Amino acid sequence: MASATAAATRESRKYRVRGAIVKGFLYLILTLGAIVAMFPFAWMLLTASKTYGEHSQKVFWPAGLTLRPYVNLPPTREIVVDMHPTEDWHGAPASSSPLLEGVIPVHEVSPFVAKRLEREGITLPFNVLILAIDTTDDGIQNYDRFVLTVDSRTVGQFSTRIRLGQWGGPDYAGGPRGRWGPHFKVIDPNPDHFVVKQAWNVWYMFFGNYIKAWREANFALYTRNSAIITLLTIAGVMVTSTLAAYAFARMDFPGKNTLFAAYLATYMIPWTVVMIPDYLIIVALEDFFKETLGIANAWYNNWTALTIPWMVNAFSVFLLRQFFAQIPTELFDAALIDGCGHLRFLTQVVLPISKAPLMSVIVFNGIWAWNSLQWPLIVTSTPDWRPITVGLSSFMSEAGAETQLIMAGSVITTIPILLLYFFTQKQFTEGIATTGLKG
Amino acid sequence: MAATEQPMTPVPRRGLFAGRRGRRIREAIQAYLFLSPGTLLLFVFQLLPVGYAFYISLHKWRIQKGDFIALDNYLKALGEPLDILWVIGGLMLLAGAWMVWRSIKPETSGKGFLLRGLSALMLIFGGLALILGFPDMLAHGDEDLFKSLLITFYYSLGTVPIQIVLSFLLANILFQDIRGRAMWRMLYFLPYVTVTVASAAVWTSIFEPRRGLINVTLAALGVPEEHLPQWIFEAAGIGTLIGRWLGFEVPSWAAGPSLALVAVIIYNIWTFVGYNTVIYLAGLGTIPHELYEAAEIDGASRWDLLRHITIPLVSPTTYFLVMMGVLGTFRAFNHIYVMTRVGRTLGFPQGTTMTASILIFKHFWEGHRFGYASALAFILTGVMLGLTWIQNRVSERRVFYG
Repeated sequence: MASATAAATRESRKYRVRGAIVKGFLYLILTLGAIVAMFPFAWMLLTASKTYGEHSQKVFWPAGLTLRPYVNLPPTREIVVDMHPTEDWHGAPASSSPLLEGVIPVHEVSPFVAKRLEREGITLPFNVLILAIDTTDDGIQNYDRFVLTVDSRTVGQFSTRIRLGQWGGPDYAGGPRGRWGPHFKVIDPNPDHFVVKQAWNVWYMFFGNYIKAWREANFALYTRNSAIITLLTIAGVMVTSTLAAYAFARMDFPGKNTLFAAYLATYMIPWTVVMIPDYLIIVALEDFFKETLGIANAWYNNWTALTIPWMVNAFSVFLLRQFFAQIPTELFDAALIDGCGHLRFLTQVVLPISKAPLMSVIVFNGIWAWNSLQWPLIVTSTPDWRPITVGLSSFMSEAGAETQLIMAGSVITTIPILLLYFFTQKQFTEGIATTGLKG
Repeated sequence: MAATEQPMTPVPRRGLFAGRRGRRIREAIQAYLFLSPGTLLLFVFQLLPVGYAFYISLHKWRIQKGDFIALDNYLKALGEPLDILWVIGGLMLLAGAWMVWRSIKPETSGKGFLLRGLSALMLIFGGLALILGFPDMLAHGDEDLFKSLLITFYYSLGTVPIQIVLSFLLANILFQDIRGRAMWRMLYFLPYVTVTVASAAVWTSIFEPRRGLINVTLAALGVPEEHLPQWIFEAAGIGTLIGRWLGFEVPSWAAGPSLALVAVIIYNIWTFVGYNTVIYLAGLGTIPHELYEAAEIDGASRWDLLRHITIPLVSPTTYFLVMMGVLGTFRAFNHIYVMTRVGRTLGFPQGTTMTASILIFKHFWEGHRFGYASALAFILTGVMLGLTWIQNRVSERRVFYG
C-alpha cells in the first residue's frame, strides 16, 4: 500500500518535472521568436541614437543612451562676441552686405566631449568661429544664417546653420563627437553688440539625429501630407462604405446582386493592371481641369489624386455589410413606425452600435493610406504633397551613408502607425483574425 | 438625399410613390443614392480601368497613344503565336488530363478504363505540346519577363513554406496554456504593422555589408572579412555561393536566387510570420475541444493529435495563407523597391531582384512603355489566375472544410 502511493507520487513528480521542462522549452521558443521579431526595432532605435562616428566604428551601445553626456554639464552663459567684417569665407553664399566673423573661446565642455578632445589632443580653450551671413539682403538687422565652426584649422570644418533664435551646435559630422558639446543661440544679432548664449541643450543632444533628420528631409511637410492624406482617405471610405454597406445589407433594389458582384470583382483585380490606366485617368483629369477650368495641378501633385481613388474599397463595404446584416429587423421596423427614414436610421441607430467594425475600417484604411508608396511615386513629382513614405525613401538616397539619420527618419515614419496600433490593438488583431486580410 | 427632407410622421403618404409599390420604388431610389458615391469611384478607378488597360495593351503607347498594334505587345513578351498556342494548349491538356483522372470514381468501373486511357493520352499530348512550344517561347519571347517570373517563383518558394511552418509552430505553442498570450501576439505582430518603407530601410541597414548588424555579428564570430557575404549587393546565386564555399563549381541552372533576393525573402518572412500566426491562432480556436479529449481517451500521443486532428482541421487556414502568400509575393513592390532601388537601379544588383511587379513598374515608369507594361500586367494576371486555379484544385482534396 505504502509503496504504491510512493510509486504514484514518484510517477506524478516525474510527470510534473517533464511538464515543466516542456513548458520551459516552449517559453524558450517563444522568447527566441520574440527576439527575432524585435531585434530590427532595437537596431533601429540604437542606431538612431548613435553618431556617425559610432556607427562607422561599429560601436554597439551609443553614448547617447548612457548618462555620461548629460551629467556635470557647465552652466549656461551669455557671451558678447566681437564681430568684425570678413572678406571671404569658405564658400559662404554671396551677399551684398558684409559677412561678419567673430570668435568665441570655449573654456568648458561636457565631460563626454572633454574626454574625446583629450584623446584627439585638443586642449581647452579652443575657439568657435561664428560667422554671420545675411542672405535675405534686407539689411544687417535681419541675420538668418549663422555658421558656427569649431576651430576650423585644427579639427576640420564642421559647420551648422542656425536660424536666428534657434538652438544649434557645431556639428562635428566628420568626427566621433557628433552632436555633443556646447550649443549656441544668437540672442542679440546687432553687429555692435552681438550676444550668443552658450548652453548644454540636453534635448538637442538626446534627440540630435531626429532633429537633424526632421530638418534635412523636410519631414514636417511630409508628416503633414501623410496625415492629411490618411485622414481624408479614412473620411471618404467611411462615407462610401457605410452608405454602400447599408444599402447592400438592408435595402431592396433591382440589380443588387449584379452590383454586389461588381464590388466582389475588385477583389480579384490585381493592382498592377489598374495602375497604368489610373495614372492616365489622373493625367486626363488634370488636363481637363487645366484647359477647361483653368486650374493647374488640380489632380497631379495634389491631394485629390492621392486620396480620391482610394476612397472606396470592397473590404470595408464587406466588413460593414456583414455587421449591418446582423442588426435585428425589428429594430428597423420600430424605427420606421416612429417615422424614421433609412438615412436617419443609419446615422442614429446603426452607426452608434457599430463602433467595433467602424474602428476596424478606420484602422485598416489608416494603415494602408499611411503605407502607400507606389501610387504617390507615380502621381507626385514635387515635394508639395509627397507623403512620408516617399519622403523617407528619397531621404535614404540623399542621406547615403548617414545611417543614423535614416534610422531616425524610420522611427519618425513608424511612430504614428505604432501609436494607432497600440491604442486599437484589440480591434486590429481581431479584425485580422476574423476577416483574414492581407494588407 | 431627398429622403431626409420628407416629414418624419407616420401618416400615410399620398400622391407619387404612395402605397406599397411606391415605397419599394422610393427605397430603390434611395438605395441607388446610397450606393452612388462608392460605386462611382469603384467604376472609375477600379473596374473600368481593366478594360482601359486592355485597350492600352493593344496599342503602341509611349506616354501618348500610338498606333493600334493588336496583340503585338503580347507577342513581343511571349514569342511566336504558334508557340504560345502550343504552350497554352499543352497546359490546358495537362489540366484536362488531371480533371478526367479526378472524375474517375470506383462506380464507373466500365468507363473507368476508357477515361484512364483518355487521361493518359491528354497527358502525353499536353506534355508533347509543352516540349514543342516552351523552349521556342523562351527563345523568342522577352527574356526579362521569363527571368522575372523565375525570380518571382524563387521568391514565393523561399517565403511561403518557411512562413507557414514557422507561424504554425508559433501558433501551436501560443495555443497551449501560455501566460501573456496577448503580449506575445502583440510582439509577433509588430513587424507586420510597421510602415513597410521604414522597416525595409532598417533591414537595408541590417544587411549593409560593412557596418550592418549581420556582418558585424559574423565578423565578431570570427568570419574573415573577405568571406563576409555582401547581401543586398550580391548578384551571385546562393547555389553558386554555397558551391564556392564548399569548393566546387555549380552549374548555372543550379545557381538559385541571388543573395540579394534571399535578403528580400528574409525580410518578407520576418514581416509575415506574425500575421500568419494570428490567423492560425484564429483557425486553431475553431477546432472543437472535444475532438482532442476523445482522441486522448483513445490513447493518442501529442504527435497523433497534431498529425490527425490539428493539421487537417486548420487546412482551410493553411490554404488561405498559402494562397495569400503566393499572390502577395506576385504583388510585392514596396519593400523590394526600398531595399534594392534606393540610390541604385530597379532590380539591383544586376536585375536579380527584378520580380514581375518590379519589371512592370520599370517598363511603365522608367521606360514609359505603357502599352507593353499593360500587356505584361495582363500576362502576370494570367499566371496568377493559373496558380490560383491549381491551388484550388489541389486544395479540393486536401483541405478539410468542417
